[in-house]
Parts: sequence; structure tokens; C-alpha cells
Amino acid sequence: MAIASKSANARKVKNSLAKWIISLGGISVLFTLVLIFMYLLYVIKPIFESVKVTPDTQFAIAESEQVLATGVDELKEVAYTITAQGMINFYQLVDGGRYQAGDKILSQQLVADGEKLTQVVDVGQEQKLLLDSGGHIQLVVPSFSASFDTGERLIKPSVHYPLGRAYLPIDESNMPLSKLGFAMDDEKAIFVGFSHDQRLIKTTLFAEDDFSYDSAYQVQYQVVDYAVNAVDDILLTPDLAMAFIRHSDQVAVFSLDEDAELKATIIPQLEQNSSSQSRLTSMALLSGGSSLLLGDDRGNVSQWFEVATDKGRAFKEIRRFKASDHEPVVAIYTEQYRKSFYTQTPSGEIGLFYTTSAADLWRGTLHQGKAQAFAIAPRSDALILYSEKKLATFTVDNEHPEVTWQALWQEVWYEGYPEPDFIWQSTSGTDDFEAKFSLVPISFGTIKAAMYAMMFAVPIALTAAIYTAYFMTPGLRRKVKPTIELMEALPTVILGFLAGLWLAPIIEVYLPAIVLLLVFIPLSVFTTALAWHKLPRNYKARIPETWAPIILIPAIAIAAYAAFTLSPVLELHLFAGDVRQFITNDLGIDFDQRNALVVGIAMGFAVIPTIFSMAEDAIFSVPKHLTSGSLALGATQWQTLVKVVLLTASPGIFSAVMMGLGRAVGETMIVLMATGNTPILDWSIFQGMRTLAANIAVEMPESEVGSSHYRILFLAAFVLFVFTFVFNTLAEFVRQRLREKYSSL
Amino acid sequence: MISVTPKNLSAHNVKLDLNNLSPEQVALEIKNLDLYYGNKQALQNISMSIPKGQVTAFIGPSGCGKSTLLRCINRMNDLVDSCKITGQIKLNGENIFHRHTDVAALRRKVGMVFQRPNPFPKSIYENVVYGLRITGENNRRVLDEAVETSLRSAALWNEVKDRLHESALGLSGGQQQRLVIARAIAIEPEVLLLDEPTSALDPISTLTIEELINDLKQQFTVVIVTHNMQQAARVSDQTAFMYMGDLIEYSDTNTLFTTPRQKKTEDYITGRYG
Repeated sequence: MAIASKSANARKVKNSLAKWIISLGGISVLFTLVLIFMYLLYVIKPIFESVKVTPDTQFAIAESEQVLATGVDELKEVAYTITAQGMINFYQLVDGGRYQAGDKILSQQLVADGEKLTQVVDVGQEQKLLLDSGGHIQLVVPSFSASFDTGERLIKPSVHYPLGRAYLPIDESNMPLSKLGFAMDDEKAIFVGFSHDQRLIKTTLFAEDDFSYDSAYQVQYQVVDYAVNAVDDILLTPDLAMAFIRHSDQVAVFSLDEDAELKATIIPQLEQNSSSQSRLTSMALLSGGSSLLLGDDRGNVSQWFEVATDKGRAFKEIRRFKASDHEPVVAIYTEQYRKSFYTQTPSGEIGLFYTTSAADLWRGTLHQGKAQAFAIAPRSDALILYSEKKLATFTVDNEHPEVTWQALWQEVWYEGYPEPDFIWQSTSGTDDFEAKFSLVPISFGTIKAAMYAMMFAVPIALTAAIYTAYFMTPGLRRKVKPTIELMEALPTVILGFLAGLWLAPIIEVYLPAIVLLLVFIPLSVFTTALAWHKLPRNYKARIPETWAPIILIPAIAIAAYAAFTLSPVLELHLFAGDVRQFITNDLGIDFDQRNALVVGIAMGFAVIPTIFSMAEDAIFSVPKHLTSGSLALGATQWQTLVKVVLLTASPGIFSAVMMGLGRAVGETMIVLMATGNTPILDWSIFQGMRTLAANIAVEMPESEVGSSHYRILFLAAFVLFVFTFVFNTLAEFVRQRLREKYSSL
Repeated sequence: MISVTPKNLSAHNVKLDLNNLSPEQVALEIKNLDLYYGNKQALQNISMSIPKGQVTAFIGPSGCGKSTLLRCINRMNDLVDSCKITGQIKLNGENIFHRHTDVAALRRKVGMVFQRPNPFPKSIYENVVYGLRITGENNRRVLDEAVETSLRSAALWNEVKDRLHESALGLSGGQQQRLVIARAIAIEPEVLLLDEPTSALDPISTLTIEELINDLKQQFTVVIVTHNMQQAARVSDQTAFMYMGDLIEYSDTNTLFTTPRQKKTEDYITGRYG
């Protein structure tokens, strides 16, 4: 008894231990899956969060002068104001070192005695161009440097003068200017101004060497031939190509080359109601300088850029934003590196928008009345405002303005494109590049690659499965099935490598052969089968029935050889010697060497084992008594196959195809190496594509952690996850349903 | 000792002389049939005549070849690769093993019901008309009529007439077996082969099927394989006892069960082996 109970106890312990370990395994698999899912969502979440603007610091400033401009250092520790008196004053924003928040650290005079400042032009991120009442200019750079002299970090402000400290007259005849526009690069600095005697002037400074380290230059004066009484705004594109002159509800566009000729005039279709026509009230250049923003007195802002049309390039209104319900947009401020802009109305209503995603990010009021000076912090993460003798900073939580549902999934009209389109182009060489984050082309590419793979794989895998399960002798089946299943273990990187470097060039050179193979292979199989059928019995008997299908191998080899031999002949006679040329020139179809055909074959090859194995199991497990039942009713083998076997195996076959599809959708290495990775929307078999999986693999290493690009790649991963999840779940669901249905067989 | 009481004796007044049947009385004639699975001989020189419109039972211990013999009659053994047959089976005077025999056509004349009910995963209706549909019959009226007639003949009509378009897999085992019989007789065969049709069924379903067999012989020649001797005694007019691939004794059921001529038959029916 003792022994019996002891062994029973041991068995009980083992039993419960096994139970726990197995449960733990199962739960941890689920847990991991949920964890992956949660992590993806966690990384994606910020891109869909709304913008938050929160007050940071605020203090009164004693000066009574008018403030023309303001600004802040990168870390938001020191701010400055530039006054009409020509003073620049630096203020401490946070307590630290010797200073308390609100202390004036440094004050410096920027103009000559007796002069006043009339305009401050923002140039790039840091530079300010000052225009004084005498028509002279001075380029200044308020700079900040950190020092650790006292053992504590201290921001020390200073002022630099890239063109020297001397004030330069802009007009040849020394006339004061009412408006000035400016842009410069290393070789040239161009000023476009409107003088008090109503001349539009253009002054160019040519660097003797390079402005970045030597301020020596030569001057060229020019008067632009354009009669106008008053000018509201003058803007120059940073690439020194164009100048925009806004006056009386229209914008004149001049080229900035030697001739300075009028290129175009933008006359916006302004809203008109019964009482009055609306007026243009403000103008700004979007980051990058190719988009112009125009604000009107009804609270609208329109975005314009040059678009290629039948009559050459022309400015076109692309989209509109509603910045205010009834107030005029008196000022538009653009971010330096992103396509965001802020608007302001006389009552102090502020709007934040993003052009590419057409997003109204934020609207609200931060203070009473229009701010005298408004600046965006260098990292675009804060605003600094001067109004009513108070300097106030606001933190702006706006990390991912470029991502909206529309920007990801709908057509977007990008700068320089002739029409709205789906584009994926996440990075480029320049900072002011407009990132194009449409997931449509890459989702499309995923589906396209999977479809071509399925077109290749499904017929082969299913017919093979039917033959193996239903017609093949058991002996041969025992060898064939594991062999095909072994194909699944082949690393896809090898398949991708072969497809990209070996198959793609062959297909390109022997394209007619590939088409011929489609005809020759079935033909050779049928003729061989027919010949076998007609062969006298005593010859047949020499080959054991098990090995009879093997005779197809030489038949197919001969067909392939014939196709490849005929290919150049056909090419010579039908396609004037070069099929590629013929397709591109005569048929007008683009031909990529790495195209959907290559991917279809390579990835098809990779999914064949998956589909074959499951479909073969499904067909083979159709109960024999059902087949016998059908045959006993006088049905032929073929009728039995179609009406009973395939019907009964249909759930398994369906789920096999779905599993194959799921695999094709998630496949990475083959598409990475054989598609060319061009994110285009084109079903053509001769064009490449870029898939979600390949896109992630290509771009993840180069994306900055935490950036919009990085998060969008995670979103792409999430979409991919959803894709495969849907296909696999559907497959499993159907399989379960039908298993239930046929469980009593 | 099993007591056997043939209850259908009174139904047949005419006692056939199985060795001297007139050609009109013969449904199937088996002549010198040998069957090999590979090198192993499974049937040895079987010769017998199966009379028309009667129920003939094959009995014998497991592995005696009774099912194999039955499956020869509609050439189901063709599906076994290593199977080789010599000799003849004549249906209406024609040898079914002839090279030009259309096997599908033969099977339409010789229907078969298997041990396990094997309805297709389709509706009851589609199961019954399966044999008609594969011959290209798609006339709705013809099919409807065939369904009703066959289901009535199979004594299933009353149970399923309201759910003809529901899945056949929802029926009970006995109903499924009757459905399979209805499916077999829908194509109006001449001979109906029943391969242990009740071995997978409960006693009540078995009884229903046995009564059905009694009715079926009005229309068809029935050949039944059974390992249940009482069943053979109850349903059949003739019984053949087989042992180790040999036909030991073949006579009318009453004679075989009451006064067997062979020692082996007597041993078997009295339960000494098997």
C-alpha cells in the first residue's frame, strides 16, 4: 500500500508540474504577442496625439520702447528683444547662476546714434537683418554660448555681425526704404527694397571669396522696372531664385537673376460677399521657400506653389486653412525646418497649421491683442511673445504635425507635384524637404507582391497537392511530400539573392522564353501523358508505376531547353531583336529589371511548400469511404475529385491559400532583394514595388529614434501585423468552422 | 450453440435449385474466380450463380474473402493497385472484367452500400441526386421525383421530407445508412451490394435496415455480406459460406442453417470458430 501511494503521489506531482509548465508556455506565448502589440501601439501613439500649448514663463519688461522682434536660445534659457530704438536686450528666462528669471543680462545698441529701426527681417534660423530709418542695413546674429567658468553652466549672449559692423546703404541714391526683403548664400546677398520715392530696387552683394568666412564683397545696384505706389511685403526665396512682392491684393513674382524680370503675378480668387471684397493681409514663405502662404481679412490662409501645367510652370492655389472665423490674418510665422506655420489676428487669436497634412493643429488665444513680437524657438518646441510690456514663453508640444490619417492614406498635393498623389519618400538630402509619408504605395506594393506570388504559387501548389494526395502511389508520395516540405526550410535570403542577381537578369534577357515556358511546359506534360497512355502495356510494365511520373522530368527539361533556344530567334523576328526595347518603346510599358514577375516567381517558390503541405494534408485526409461511395455510384475519378474530394477538403485548401498569402505578405528578404524597392502604384508585371516589410528593413536603420519617420515605420509594422493577423485569423477561423461542420465524417 | 430461426421461410414458397437456374433467373454468374493481392491468393476458384430478385448473403469468419468477393462484383477492387483477378463475373451474360467494360456504367448497374454510413458533406437532397447529377441529369422535376421515390423506398422519406436541404451529416447513423441506400437506389441499379451495412449501427437501426432489405428485393437483386449469422438467417434467401478464400457451401438459407452439408459450415454456424 505504501509503495502504491508513494508512486501515486509522484505521479500527481509530475502531472501537476507538467500542467503548470505547459500552461506557462502557452500563456507566455500569448503574453509576448500582446507585448509586441502593445509596444507597437506605444511607439505609434504620439503621432496621433493633438498639439498642446502651455504657458511657461512670463515677466514684465520695464522698457517703454516698441519691440520689433524677439527670440530665444535653443534651450529656452535666454531671450532677447530688439527695439525700435535699436537696442538688443537679453533677458534670463530661468533662475540660474547669478541671475533670476526676468533679469536683463546684456543690452547693446545696434544702430548709429540718431537712427531708429524700421524693420527687422528674419533670415534663416538666427540671423536678423535690421533696416534703419536712413535706409541702411545691418546683419546681426544674436548668439548664445555656454560657459562653465563658475563650475555651473551659464549661457552667455553676444551679438555677431556677419557682414561687418558698418551700416550699408542699400539704395544707390541713399533713399530711405519703406520695405525690404533679403536672402543670402555663401556667394551672394540680395536685397530687394521699396524706396520712399517709390522705386523697387534690387541690390546684390557678390562675395569676393565666401561670406561664410570673409565679409568682403562687391556691390551691384539695380532698379526693377515695376511701377507700383506702395508695397506691403517683400519676400525672397532662400535659394535666391525669386522675390515675391505683395501689393494691393496681388503678388508679383520676380526672378532674381541678372534681369530681375517679372515672372508671374498671383491674383488670388478672394472671397466676395455682397458688401465688400476681402483683402490680402499677410504673406509668408513656407520652409524651403517653394510655397507661398497668403492670409486674407476673412481669416483664410491659402498655400500656393508652382505647378507644371500645359503652359509651363504656374502658381496655383493648393489648399486653404481657416485661421479665424471672421478676423483678418495679420501675420503668418513659419517654422524653419518644418512645413508648420502660425497665424495671428488683431485680437490675438493664434492658429497652428501644417501644410502637407492639411492639419489644423491648434487654435486659441494666448494673450489679449496682437503680439508686438512673435518668435518660434529654434527647436520649434516653444513660442516667445512680446505684448503689453510682457515677455512670455509657451511650450508647444507638436512633435509629429506631418502625420494625420489623411496624409497617410489619402492623396496629398506635395510641393512641386502637378497633382495630388500617393507618395512615399521619407528622407532626402536637405533639411527643408517635404517628407511624403503615404502608406498607400507600400501597402499596395505588399499586396501586389503577394498577389503575383500567389498567381505563381497557387496553381502549382494546389495541382501538386491534388496529384500527390489523390493520384500518386503511396510509395512515391512518401518521398515527394517531405522533399517539397523541405523546400520550406530554404532560407529566403538565398531565394532573394538568387532572384535578384541570377533570375532577374535571365528574365530580362530571355523574356520570350519565359512566356514560351508558360505554353511549352503544360504542352509537354500533356503530350507525355498522352504518349504514356498510348504506350503498349508491355513497355509500360518495364517502368514501375511508382516512378512513372519521373518521365516528366526529361520532358519538361526538353521544353525548357526548347523555349530558351527559341527565345533569341523569336526576339529577332518578332520584336526587332530586343524585347526590352520593344516593350519600352513600342508598347510604352516601363520595364524594370527587378519586377513583379521576378518577385512572383521567387516568392511564389517560397510559399509553394506552405500551400502544398497544408492543401495536401487536407485532400489526403478526405475519408476514403467518401471516395469509395462516390466511385460506387458510378462517378469517374475526376467527378469524385471535383464533387466530393475537393468539396470536402475545401476548408483546408482555403486555409492553405490564406496561410500562403499571410506568408507572402510578411516575407521580407525576397522582396527586399528582388523588387527594386521603388514605392510606386502600378499593377504592371514589369514594374517593381516596395512592400511594408522591405520598407521597414530598408529605412529603420537610417531613421532617427523618436522621429515621425521612426514612428511611421512602426505604424507600417503595425499595418503589416494587422495584415498577417487578418489573413491568418481568417484562415484559422474558416478551418475551425469547417472542421466543426465535417467533424462527423 | 446459437439457435437460428429463419423467419422468412414462409415468404418463399418456390425453392430454387441454385445449380440449375434458367438464364432469366440469374442476376450474376461468377465463374472460376481467382483473386490475388500481390502474391497472396485471396479468392480461390469461386463459382456461383446469384438469383434475381432475391437476397443472397455471404457469411464466414473475418478474412475469409466475403467482402473481397462482393467488391469484385462492382470492380471496387480496381482501386487496389496490387490486385489481380482471373475468371469471370457475368452480369446479364456479359463479363464485367472485359477490357472494354465501362466501369462507371457497371457501377451504376451494381450499387453498393458500405459498412460505415458515408453520406457526402452535402444536403440530404444533394446526396440522393448525386448519382443522377454525375450522369448530367439536372432536370429539377426528375431529381425531385427521384428524391422522393428513393427516400420512400429507403423508408426515410417521412423522417427527412421537411429538411431535405439540410446537411446529411446531421442525421443519425441509422438514418445516414438509409440515406446511403436511397442514394444507391436513386440511380436504379439492378444489383445492390450491401457490405456489412448494419455493423456500425445500434440494434433498432439494424432492425429497420433489415426490414428495408426485405422490401428492397422486390425491385433489386440484393447481395449482403454480414458476419452476423442471425442477420443472414433473417434477411436472406440464399446463403454462401466462405472460408479462407474458398466457397465452402452455397444453398438456400434454410438448408444451410438447418442441415449444412459441410463439416466446416456446421462448425461455423454452431459457433466453434469465427
